Amino acid sequence: MASIARSALLRQAASVPKLPAATHAIARSSALRQSIANTVRASAFHTTSRRNLLPPLPQHVDGTVNDAAPIPETSPAHGSYHWTFDRLVSAGLVPLTLAPFAAGSLNPTMDAVLCGLILIHSHTGFQNIIIDYLPTRRVPRTRKAVMWGLNVATVIVGLALYEFETTDVGVTEAIKRVWTA
Amino acid sequence: MAALRSSSAARLFGSAASRPAFRLAVAAPVRGFAQLADAAQESQTASGDQKARIKTFQVYRWNPDTPTEKPTMQSYSLDLNKTGPMVLDALIRIKNELDPTLTFRRSCREGICGSCAMNINGTNTLACLCRIPTEVNAEMKIYPLPHTYVVKDLVPDLTQFYKQYKSIKPYLQRDTPSPDGKEYRQSKADRRKLDGLYECILCACCSTSCPSYWWNSEEYLGPAMLLQSYRWLADSRDERTAERKDALNNSMSLYRCHTILNCTRTCPKGLNPGLAIAQIKKEMAF
Repeated sequence: MASIARSALLRQAASVPKLPAATHAIARSSALRQSIANTVRASAFHTTSRRNLLPPLPQHVDGTVNDAAPIPETSPAHGSYHWTFDRLVSAGLVPLTLAPFAAGSLNPTMDAVLCGLILIHSHTGFQNIIIDYLPTRRVPRTRKAVMWGLNVATVIVGLALYEFETTDVGVTEAIKRVWTA
Repeated sequence: MAALRSSSAARLFGSAASRPAFRLAVAAPVRGFAQLADAAQESQTASGDQKARIKTFQVYRWNPDTPTEKPTMQSYSLDLNKTGPMVLDALIRIKNELDPTLTFRRSCREGICGSCAMNINGTNTLACLCRIPTEVNAEMKIYPLPHTYVVKDLVPDLTQFYKQYKSIKPYLQRDTPSPDGKEYRQSKADRRKLDGLYECILCACCSTSCPSYWWNSEEYLGPAMLLQSYRWLADSRDERTAERKDALNNSMSLYRCHTILNCTRTCPKGLNPGLAIAQIKKEMAF
């Protein structure tokens, strides 16, 4: 009410169209003008439009606020076994990657093991990324499609590596030939 | 006027009464109505020889009564000479003297209740444990906890956080009674396992700093809940360890932790949720 009585403030408010909030208080309107100036200054640097990928949905509470969050079903295959397997593969890759440096080259069997482990390692790695960023509750069909896409890609890469190992020189030898550093 | 009254009171009641009377005299001008701007007040105070150290605080404001208005940052200037050392002191002073509409949670002002968790200068911390940096040139930015639904201004909605806390059954579960019918005893070594776990005050600083929790807070429990889980897994008196582990044994509840360690970095109590999660993973391996 007091702000209406001040004519100077009304003039300020009129100079900021489309923003009715400016009439509230003198501190508010000066802050608003500052923010408008900042927005204009910042938008001059933006050349691409802002994309909201999976923006947050309005808040949704399952049941009442006093209910416990649901406990998922126990499945060690997706939990502890999966995690342990992941770590074993990662740990196994370290000596296999270092061995060619020490021995000069690997025999075809070890080379194949290295290929297989890298394939499994990247497969579970991509799986983790998909689980993190494509939640089933939000995009169930996209999640399923991408998961199947990953499976197909892994099989194709597996077949290609098999071909490469059996009919060509193998991964370690190929890297050695390409490496010029 | 207040100073006059207090000095005469001190003379009247002697040295025993002088201390509370002096306090009254200090409190009176602070509460005064006309002293909103610190700069104007500067010359009147007893510490007038000190130079005013005006620091600007930018505070996130959003009002649920006008939901279409976008959140804004509002600036408040305070003289640090007349403000307590912590950010919470500054916020309380802003609320008392500059803007009573500013909303935030606070209770114990000594880092034991966890109410005043907020994002201060880009770090989740408790406002009551966070010192105000003394250099006055840099502005201080105060936001609510990141990636939470905001109730108002600096107040985040922690419904999901508390629902998840309930889901981990944070209490002693035991069937066998103690042999002598008294309390359940623990060896000193067993008790020591709970150090660094029981101190958690559930302020939600760690969970809301975790990117994994940002993306999957519906299913992933988050560092705070996993630290609490481990507190009960590690307790020698608890007899439901297997059930507790089974509840975590799926792809979402525990294994969305990718050891980012934002939780350990941000914890205002100096705890290590990352280590607790690693212990759970290790115990559940194979």
